[in-house]
Formats: sequence, C-alpha cells, structure tokens
Amino acid sequence: MPMLVRKTLRDYRRALIGWTIGICVFTGLYTSFFPQMRENPDFYNQAALAKYPDSVRKLMGGLENISTGTGFLQAVVYQLFVPLLFIMCAVMLGNKAIAAPEEAGTLELTVTLPVDRKRLVLERFAALALGLLVVAVASLAVVVVLGSAVGLGVPFGRILAAHTGLYLLVLFFGTVALTVGAATGRKALAMSVAGGYAVAGYVVNAMSADVEVMRWLNNLSPFHYYSEGNPLVNGLQVGDDLVLLAAAAVLALTAVLSFDRRDVGV
Amino acid sequence: MRRMTAVVETEGLTKFYGKRRGLEDLTLEIRPGEVFGYLGPNGAGKTTTIRLLLDVIRPTRGSVRVLGVDPREAGIRSRIGYLPGELALEGRERASEYLRFLAGVRGGVAKGRIELLAERLEADLSVKMGQLSKGNKQKVGLIQAFMHDPEFLILDEPTSGLDPLVQQEFLSMVREARTAGRTVLMSSHVLAEVEHVSDRVGIVRGGRLVAVEDVAALREKAVRRVELHFDAPVPEEAFRDLPGVRDLKVEGASVHCTIDGRPDALIKAAARFTVVHMVSAEPDLEEIFLTYYSEDVHHAHVGA
Ligand SMILES: Nc1ncnc2c1ncn2[C@@H]1O[C@H](COP(=O)(O)OP(=O)(O)O)[C@@H](O)[C@H]1O
Ligand SMILES: [Mg+2]
Repeated sequence: MPMLVRKTLRDYRRALIGWTIGICVFTGLYTSFFPQMRENPDFYNQAALAKYPDSVRKLMGGLENISTGTGFLQAVVYQLFVPLLFIMCAVMLGNKAIAAPEEAGTLELTVTLPVDRKRLVLERFAALALGLLVVAVASLAVVVVLGSAVGLGVPFGRILAAHTGLYLLVLFFGTVALTVGAATGRKALAMSVAGGYAVAGYVVNAMSADVEVMRWLNNLSPFHYYSEGNPLVNGLQVGDDLVLLAAAAVLALTAVLSFDRRDVGV
Repeated sequence: MRRMTAVVETEGLTKFYGKRRGLEDLTLEIRPGEVFGYLGPNGAGKTTTIRLLLDVIRPTRGSVRVLGVDPREAGIRSRIGYLPGELALEGRERASEYLRFLAGVRGGVAKGRIELLAERLEADLSVKMGQLSKGNKQKVGLIQAFMHDPEFLILDEPTSGLDPLVQQEFLSMVREARTAGRTVLMSSHVLAEVEHVSDRVGIVRGGRLVAVEDVAALREKAVRRVELHFDAPVPEEAFRDLPGVRDLKVEGASVHCTIDGRPDALIKAAARFTVVHMVSAEPDLEEIFLTYYSEDVHHAHVGA
C-alpha cells in the first residue's frame, strides 16, 4: 500500500474505530427490533401512521410495510438514520484529508515532502475510500448476521446491493468535503457545503414525488440515485451506482487539480 | 569548467497575498556550500521567501530555481531538509513514528541517525506529538530536517524555543553540515543567532532585500573597541594619527581606542613597547545592521 495511504489510514484509525462502532451499534439495535415489529404488525403500523403526520412520514420514506423484513430494513436502516450517521462520518473523514491538517498547520510539512501534490490528494482520497469501506463492510456484516438471527428473510444479495448504494452515497459526500477542502483549505466551509448538500438532497428527494420542481431538481440529488431503484427489492442498481461513483470521481479529479494550483496554508 | 549551479537562484521573485505585500522583487543567489543567514524583523518576508522556495506558495511573479530546477518538481525535495517557522505537530502518534514516516517518504535515513540526533538535542521521541512542549516540537522539527543528511537545509527561525545549551548543539550541527559541504539557509530576526555560523547574511525588510553582506568582510569593516596595557607609561604621539584608529585616549600605561577595519597599524605601533594586557571587544555587527534597518525606516518615512 502506498506510504501516504497507509499513513492517512493510521491517522484515521481512532475516528474510524469510533464511527464503525457507532454505526454498527446503531444498525444492530434497529435491526434487532424486528421480532417485536413482526409480532405486532398492526400496532406498529398504526403507531407509525398515527405518530407522524403525512409529510414527515414522506420524509422518512413512507414507513409502509414495516412488518415485512424488506420494508422494515428499508425503513429503519437504509432510509434515514444510518445514511445520515454514515454521511457525517464521511464528511468528517473527508475534511481530515486536506482542510483540517491545513488549518492545523500540519499540512505544510507534508507538501514539502518529495511527493507530487496531485498524488498527495489522490492517496488521501484512496485512504478515504478505504476507510469508508471498512465502516461499510462492518455494518454490512452486522445487518447480515443480525438480520438472519432475527429472521428478516432478506437475501444476502439484496442487502449487499443496498449497502453498495449506501457506500457510494457516503463516498460521494465524503468526497464533496475533501474537494471543497482541497480547493479552499477551509474546514467549516467544506463541512457546511457537504452537510447542506446532504440535507437539501434528502429533502428534495423526499418531496419529489409530490412537487413538480423538486422532481427536476432531484436529478441533482445523490439520494435520488441512492433510492430510486430500491436495491433492497430489485437488487444491484448498476446505473445509479455508476452515477454516484462517477460523480465522486469527477469531484476527486477537481480536488486534485485545484489543490495542485493553489497556495497552501495562507 | 562550468560554474557550479547555484543552490537557490531567484529573479524578481514577488509574492502578494491579495493586496498585501509578502515579498517584492527578490533577486538572490545562494551558493553551494555556504551558510546563508536570512535576517529581518517579524513580517519582513522571510517565511514568504522560504515557502516560495519549497513550493508551498506560488510566486505572483518572478522566477525561482532550487538545486537547479523549478521547485514544483517534487523529486528535488528529498534533497532538502526543511524546518517550518511555525511547526505544527499534532495527534496521538509518537514522534518516533512520525519521523520514521517522514524518513520513509524521503527515501530512508542512515540507521541510528534519528537516535543520534535525538540524543544530541536531548529530545524524547516516545512522547505523543500532541503532547510535545514547544521546545521539544522544535527539536523534532530539527531532527526531521537533518536526519536524511540533505544537500540543502532550509531552517526558518530554527533557534526559537530552544534553550541556550540546545542552541549551541544546533549551531554545531549547522557547522558540521557546512563542513560536509551542505548548503544552509537559516532565517532569524536576531543577528546574534546566525552571525557565528553564517558566511553571508541577507537582510530583508518590508518585503525587500536591503543588503547582502559577507560576514567576514563585515567583521573586518566593523568598529571594534580596543584596550592596550603596557608595563610603563607610553607617549601619546606614538599612537596619534594611525590609520583606522579613532577616539584615542592615552592615560599613563594604557591606551583606549576604537578601530575601523584592520587593527594592523595599531598592533605595529604597540609592538614598540611591552604589552602586558590587551582587550579587544567582539565587533558589534548588530550595530551595523541596526544602521541598515534605521536607514530603511528613515527612507520609508521620507517616502510616506
Ligand atoms: N497568509 C498571509 N496572508 C496575508 N498576508 C500575509 C500572509 N502571510 C504573510 N503575510 C504578510 O506578508 C508579510 C511577510 O510575512 P512573513 O513572510 O511571514 O514575514 P517573516 O517570516 O519575515 O516574519 C507580512 O506583512 C505578513 O503580514
Ligand atoms: Mg516568519
């Protein structure tokens, strides 16, 4: 493994362990609620319908069929909270690539190493992708193992497909943070651009079913490509996944080129 | 034979931070094997110059070559050792691990070299970087700059935060590097820190290079206070009107004066009597530099 990738992963280690535990615990807890849900389908369906007004339910992805394994998994794991948490993790790691060390002043010595600036950004991007992959694989294992323990009955291939989409979604937002950081060196800016994009993208996607303008805007929402094909039901969505991957690649390229052009630490 | 390529060669090198001037029109050559002291008060443009040499920041205009190539060529940086002016080290990583990482990226260092330097500077490398004191950070910074025995050392305010004993050790490391044929550029805002190891000194102020002087020549030109004591009273005529001798005061068996430049005439005059004691103060280069500074201030005021 290239030295800078290894070093970056080493720097990520503590944060990665923390996020992995957090996301896995969260995922595991939600998945383990399934037996209760299955025992009292009417109760929970009614409760969900009663508890949230229509618009909020839409934001949460409908909450229909949460008594089937697939519907349950979609609602509690893949719809909102886990992606949200995972995106926060990705944005934080994305910021650690350039903007955070630049603001802390530690990047100065790094850019004076005999490593091309382009390669520096690429290797930091690779470390981000690998780090997020660790979290994704761990949380996938939790869903698969606990899911079969509680009898979700969702095939592994479907879970893998959904998790692939999830991974690409968070990779995209992590790369947004990395790119804004690489272009500007500003941590807070990178955080707010990535966070703002995530929130706006989510809301637009949730409302696109009802609002005409949103439907058009939705083409710009990563959540659209994440959820439209419903991989938990339909399996791997190659087209959508490629859109997310290509977007991340374009952003990474932008990061490489813009970091190569500017002053560091000013 | 071809002239040896300069280690640093800049022409009209200029850096503006937006509208703010960092450095303007610097034309400078640093030759192989010399120790170049780069002096100036805070905000003069020293760090700006150094960051331009290392491609941390890019020139607004002008040209710069380091070790014969454009500093954007990343490869040359393995031949450079750099101590940043504001060195930031953080995290839970131990200093020794970080040094190993830097050494690896630069293509490795001689075995035992890091430990040796740490011993000389009395640095504890088992401490986590985020917990290093200011002085210890500076030591780690020096170790990483020197450890791969680079051809060119660029040290931005290297002595800041070091206690006097460690400063001495550092200066002897610079002298050893020079003896080994390395080139050193070190910045400071106090002359006393660089004058004893520098071959030449450049003075920068307000973003402009105001003078480059040979330290030996400066010393020769410098005003120096001298006292001579003899075994018997001496006649004043013997010392009057000697070239370079001023402020002469003869009192019985002792002579006080200042000399400008070489002490030769004074010594020859004194040799006719029996000298029992002689005191020659170190030339105060600081004074010379202060005149550069104040002249510049003066110009600035006139200009404004
Ligand atoms: N990042 C920056 N943004 C704006 N101005 C800067 C920046 N860095 C340095 N300067 C200005 O450039 C001038 C030279 O600064 P610097 O090179 O740091 O001086 P020195 O290292 O000699 O103390 C100062 O006036 C300083 O305020
Ligand atoms: Mg400085």
